[in-house]
Amino acid sequence: MQKDSAGQRGEQAAADYLQAAGYALLARNYRARTGEIDIIAEKGGTVVFVEVKARHSDAYGSPAEAVTYRKQGKILNTALCYLKQTGRTAAPLRFDVIEIYLGAGVNPRVNHIANAFGRR
Amino acid sequence: MFAQTYGATTLGINGALVTVEVDIANGLPGLDIVGLPDTAVKESRERVRAAIKNTGFEFPVRRITVNLAPADMKKDGSGLDLPIAIGILAASGQISPADCSRHALIGELSLEGKLRGIAGILPMAFSVAETGRTAVFVAPDNAQEALFGGLTVYAPETLREVVLHLRGEAVLPPVEKAPTAAAATAEDDLAEIQGQPVAKRALEIAAAGGHNMLMVGPPGSGKTMLARRLPSILPRLSEQEAVEVTKIYSIAGLLKANTGLVAVRPFRSPHHTVSDAGMIGGGRLPKPGEITLSHHGVLFLDELPEFPRQVLEVLRQPMEDGEVTISRVNASLSYPAKFMMIAAMNPCPCGFYGDPSQQCTCSPGDLRRYMKRISGPLLERIGHTRKSLVYGKVG
Repeated sequence: MQKDSAGQRGEQAAADYLQAAGYALLARNYRARTGEIDIIAEKGGTVVFVEVKARHSDAYGSPAEAVTYRKQGKILNTALCYLKQTGRTAAPLRFDVIEIYLGAGVNPRVNHIANAFGRR
Repeated sequence: MFAQTYGATTLGINGALVTVEVDIANGLPGLDIVGLPDTAVKESRERVRAAIKNTGFEFPVRRITVNLAPADMKKDGSGLDLPIAIGILAASGQISPADCSRHALIGELSLEGKLRGIAGILPMAFSVAETGRTAVFVAPDNAQEALFGGLTVYAPETLREVVLHLRGEAVLPPVEKAPTAAAATAEDDLAEIQGQPVAKRALEIAAAGGHNMLMVGPPGSGKTMLARRLPSILPRLSEQEAVEVTKIYSIAGLLKANTGLVAVRPFRSPHHTVSDAGMIGGGRLPKPGEITLSHHGVLFLDELPEFPRQVLEVLRQPMEDGEVTISRVNASLSYPAKFMMIAAMNPCPCGFYGDPSQQCTCSPGDLRRYMKRISGPLLERIGHTRKSLVYGKVG
C-alpha cells in the first residue's frame, strides 16, 4: 500500500484535528462486512462516526460531495455493527464529515461538518 | 423524552383535532412521521428542521418519532408544521412539555421560522373549541377567521414568538376582533336593468321561493346580465348560513386574509367545459366542487346545452337532496349543496328561433336534437321555465 496517499494523510490530519478539539478516538478504519468507517470518536457521551474526505483541489467538486447517498448508507450500517459489537446501543449518535484540503502548504485545511447526515 | 401538542386538520367540511405525540430516543438520528400523513405533512419534516435551526433553537440529533393521532384518519395539509415543531422543542427540553399541551397550534412554517396561513382554519377552530380547548395559535393571516370559533386567538409572526409565549418570557396579546367592514353587497343590482318586466318578475319569484330557473332566449337578450344580478335580490344570509358558507370557502382556500364571515350569497358560474368531478367535487381526498361552492347561493349554468351530458346528470341527485356524498377509496365525504340553479340557453343552435327580428336557420331536426341535450329529469327539477325572454331592444 502506498503509505503517503492523500487519503492516509487526510485521515491523520482529521484525527489530529479531532483530538485537538477534545474528542477521544475510539477506533480508526473500523471495518465490517458492510463497509468501513474512517474514525470513530467520542465527546460528551455522544459517539461520533466520521467520514474523512481529502482532496488536493476542488476541481472535481468539494470533498464532502463525494460522500454519496450510497456511501452514507454503508456508514450507517457499519455504525450499527460497531454499536452492537461494543454494546453501546443506547448512546446518542452523530454522523460527521471532515473535509481535508491538502493544497500546497504544509498544514492541510480542515472543514468539519457536524451532523452531516442521518437515518432515512 | 416525550411531549404532546395539539394541531388540527380538515375532513370534508369539518375540522378534526389531531394529537401530535413526539418521542425523542437514542439511535440513528432522523425524523419519522407516522399516523397517515399525506405528502404535505411528510414534507413538513424539512420545513420544521430548517425553521427550528433558523430560529436559533437546537434541532436534536436523535431519533425523533412523531405520531399523529387518531392514526386511522388521513392528515391533510401543512398546518401541522407548528405543532410538530413545538412538540420537538418540548420533547428535547427547550420548552416545558406541560406548557404546550393546553392550546392548539395551527400553522405552516417557512424555512426562516415565520408562520404562514393555511386554508380551512374556520372548521379547525370549531373542532378545537368542541374538544374543550380555549386557545389557539395561528398565523396572523388566519387570525380573524379563527376568532369565529369562539376561542382566544394568538397570532404570532414567528416560531420564536410562540416559544417565548409558551415559556412565559414574552406574552402575546390575544387578537382583537377587527371591525367588520360595512356589510358587503352584491356588485350588480337588479334595479339597474331597464325594461325586461317579465324576466324580472320571474327572477323575483325564483328568488323568493328559492326555485331553480331556466331562461331561454336569443343571443343578446340579457340572460347572463339578468342572472348576474340575482344575488342582489336574494335574502341576506342568516348567521348560521354565513358560517356554513364561510367554512366551505375556508376549506377551498377562497377566503381572503382577515375578512369576516362571507356576507354575500355565492354566485358561481362554471364554464361549460367543467368536468363532473369539478362540478360535484372529487379527488383522492374529495374536495368540494362548484355545487358545494354555491351552497346557499346561485349556481349559474350559462349555455346549458353545451355542458357535457354527464356533468348535468350528476346534478340530479344533489338537487334533490341538498347535499352530495362523494365516495373514494380513502374517504367518503358529504358536502352540503343547497343551491339555486339558474340556467340559460338559446332556443336553437343558431339562436334565433322565435325571434321576430331575425330568421332562424335551423331545421326541425336541428331543433329536436338541440332540445334533447337536456334530459327530462333535469328539466323536471327546474320546473320553473321562463320560455323566451322579451325580444328586441328594451328601452
